[in-house]
Amino acid sequence: MTATLRERIRTLLADPALAIAVLTLWLLLVLFVLFPLGMLFARIGQGEGGFTLKGVGAILFDQHQLRALWNSLFLGMLVGIAGTLLGFLFAFTVSRARLHPTVVAILDAAILLPLVSPPFTTAIAMIFSFGARGIITYDLLGIKGFTIYGLGSTLFSETLTFFPIAYLTLKPMLAAIDSNVESMAASLGSSRWNVFRTVTLPLATPGIANAFLLMFAASLADFATPLILAGNAFPVLPTQAFLQITGLFDLRGGAVLSIVLLVPALAVFLLQRYWVSRRFYVTITGKGAGQVPFDSISPGARWPLIGACFAVAVVVLYLYALLLFASLVAALGANHAFTLQHYKVIFTEGRKAIFDTLIIAGLAMPLGGLYGILLGYLVARKNFFGRRTMEMVSMINYALPGTIVGIAYLIAFNDPPFALAGGALIIVACYIFRYGPTGIRATIALLQQIDPSLEEASHGLGASTAMTFRKVTLPLIVPAFFAGLGVVFIRSMTAISATIFLVSISWTLITVRILENMTELSLGPAAAFSVFVVVIVFVVIAVISRLLRTFRAPGALPVTNMLGG
Amino acid sequence: MVTTLGPRPRETSPSLSLRSSTRREDDNSVAIRIDNVSKSFEHQVKGQVYAARDVSLTVAPGEFVTLLGPSGCGKTTTLRMIAGFGLPDAGRISIGDQDVTTLPANQRNIGFVFQNYALFPHLSIADNVAYGLHVRRKSADEIEKAVGEVLQLVGLAGYERQFPTQLSGGEQQRVALARAIVIRPRVLLFDEPLSNLDARLRIQMRQEIRELQKRLSITTVYVTHDQEEAMAVSDRIAVMNKGSIVQLGTAEDLYYRPASEFVARFVGKVNLVPALVVAVDGKLAQVDALGQRIEVRDPPAGLRTGAPVNLVLRPEAIGLTALAGGATAAADASRPAATITSRTFLGEKIEYLVECSGETLQVAQHSAGPNATSLIVGQNVKLRLPAGDVALLTVAGS
Repeated sequence: MTATLRERIRTLLADPALAIAVLTLWLLLVLFVLFPLGMLFARIGQGEGGFTLKGVGAILFDQHQLRALWNSLFLGMLVGIAGTLLGFLFAFTVSRARLHPTVVAILDAAILLPLVSPPFTTAIAMIFSFGARGIITYDLLGIKGFTIYGLGSTLFSETLTFFPIAYLTLKPMLAAIDSNVESMAASLGSSRWNVFRTVTLPLATPGIANAFLLMFAASLADFATPLILAGNAFPVLPTQAFLQITGLFDLRGGAVLSIVLLVPALAVFLLQRYWVSRRFYVTITGKGAGQVPFDSISPGARWPLIGACFAVAVVVLYLYALLLFASLVAALGANHAFTLQHYKVIFTEGRKAIFDTLIIAGLAMPLGGLYGILLGYLVARKNFFGRRTMEMVSMINYALPGTIVGIAYLIAFNDPPFALAGGALIIVACYIFRYGPTGIRATIALLQQIDPSLEEASHGLGASTAMTFRKVTLPLIVPAFFAGLGVVFIRSMTAISATIFLVSISWTLITVRILENMTELSLGPAAAFSVFVVVIVFVVIAVISRLLRTFRAPGALPVTNMLGG
Repeated sequence: MVTTLGPRPRETSPSLSLRSSTRREDDNSVAIRIDNVSKSFEHQVKGQVYAARDVSLTVAPGEFVTLLGPSGCGKTTTLRMIAGFGLPDAGRISIGDQDVTTLPANQRNIGFVFQNYALFPHLSIADNVAYGLHVRRKSADEIEKAVGEVLQLVGLAGYERQFPTQLSGGEQQRVALARAIVIRPRVLLFDEPLSNLDARLRIQMRQEIRELQKRLSITTVYVTHDQEEAMAVSDRIAVMNKGSIVQLGTAEDLYYRPASEFVARFVGKVNLVPALVVAVDGKLAQVDALGQRIEVRDPPAGLRTGAPVNLVLRPEAIGLTALAGGATAAADASRPAATITSRTFLGEKIEYLVECSGETLQVAQHSAGPNATSLIVGQNVKLRLPAGDVALLTVAGS
């Protein structure tokens, strides 16, 4: 039952705290989401003497840029297909092969590594492994002058980096399929393969489509992997936009190129929202949890499936082990003598980047977590004017490729009235509004599982709105708060695509330093930095999980994953 | 009927301190008054839909009134407006002397028991029950004492440190009840409180609720779609349909004197037998039904000779006599003849379907014991229709 407009206005007027919170959030959303995006568009239409689109076509239809667009789309498709296949393989094996929980935990840990590291970590490890002086290409196979750069390595690296997202999307999907439906098909005479083909797969199709779209979008927006691995022969849009700005100092050109990225990103978003979401047959209620899963894997298929999963996990682990190794030897591929020199470098020369990053992440984490549960709570539970719009607007920076957000912030906050560029605040704000939405989603998801009657019961027993929030709602959504904190911190430590446009002499980031090291061929420090980030992120995740266990009220619902998709 | 309250025997009776604070000596006063309350909402397909339309109802202090009706009839909407969980578009609601139409729920001092219990999952049983007392800033001693008393009252003494998820459905229901009554509410509201329990527990719990309500004399409004439950617990029942109250009365009123076909069919099983009025004489009417003339006392006003009506015949009011050969035929000559088409043994009773003058009637008879000769399908019988105390429903449009 939807409330009437009259009722919504009445709630807003009757509750000044609510009105203030809504107004403040709107001000922030306008300043940090709508304003930069508006400025980005304004910049594109800005010529010598007022509004013009002259020159935009020249940038757009340049042969080189068209190729970059095509490359981006092609790469996205391939990563989408490969990543979804791999994600499905893992999700299906984990949910149906009756693996021991410890085995599942090992697989999970291995394939979640790329998700919590800087986006180009696998790319760097690829260079160590297959580069001109790579440990496999040069040392093992003795190939001289091997070129790793191009489509193949980028595809491989992006697939390994992003397929865990597909896995995390598909796993609950497959787990939620009512096993009675599959058992029924079997009892009607279907073979296992037939059950899979005619029941399991069709029921999982929306999830598969969703996973594909997520993979496609992630690849499309990925900036770091192509920058390291794609090389000159395989230009893609995000790197082109970056080079247009940092190489040619053409802000407008960069803006135009980033806007091109907007079209496929928007298409993916709309497809997800209006096509995939309507085709979900499986409602995830948690009711299937007590059921015995259908015995859908034949004994002959079981071991090949498990073997394939372990092979992938081993590749991931190998790449990370290589990274660690590279950080501990003098020069990978040339001198394998043990040294701590690289760590010394990052803690002396790189100290500023480390401190800056930790300060920025430390600021963004609590603010982003707070922003997430506050907005999520208001949107999910309060009937105020424009709450759907608020939810949509809050998701914009999260859904857009980082390159667009970065360039938009650069344009919007370079000049008065909001000359924030170069400072820490702008980077913090970028992280809050770009990664806070994970907390929003987690809060909304949790609240959707908490019946509104709980809050009504509190209200009916005499508690005010504020007291109800404090004593009933807040304890129940604490897991979402910590999930939001975790994601904002992890991303603040690892992100680069947006913030590479926002760093300055005064404030820099570890990820940017890693990239600089890679281009200067200081591979050792790059590896040491990467290891450092992975370790910090793991420590923080461990602390947050610990806090979650301590703070989680006995009846509170679990948050399924900290990465939130 | 003797009922035990909860699994543990009561040693003391702490109920006095929980007696409703609004209990008055003057029983003519009104505890809840609902005046022409309406609420509508926008339906995506149907447009404007009235969830409640011109609902008026008064509840006396200490009275137990049930809103009964099919899903979507507006009973829960009405209850939630009494609680303050939804505001009416039009009309007035008062509790005691106070107009509460727009008063926020947290200032109404009501006890509400939800269908899903709505226990706070992160709080222990004691903290759940104490919640409303904390809100009222009672002292720790007072709270501890009151919580102990009320848990004993609902048979859950010793459960203080447990958490809601550790309790069974019936136990959770008792906690919800304890949490609602411990604040000494002016009125107690129940929204389908038993629908998540199994059949046996439902019957036990409804007796407990009624016992407790009587002992504490709390004015109560109860919502259910189960007519048997409504009849078991209520002083009066308001039958609702399509947002309106269609009849208000005691269980007997509704069962024996339904005001409409809807009520007749919704409350209990019924045969609505077409009949024709052949004579009306003040307090007595003669109607023809199933080929027999039947006298009806207190017919509806304005009934005219020749009007078609429906006779309200409850299954247990119809008697069946076996036709043993043709010997007794003379004695039963005036009674309608029928054939048994179906027989269902239900333990304490046997339900038959019989064909009579083209009508299919439901008939229920008490089981006569294991060795009694009973009627069989295909057997020809004579019907005994009740005389005098039969309700008539005028047929719409005539």
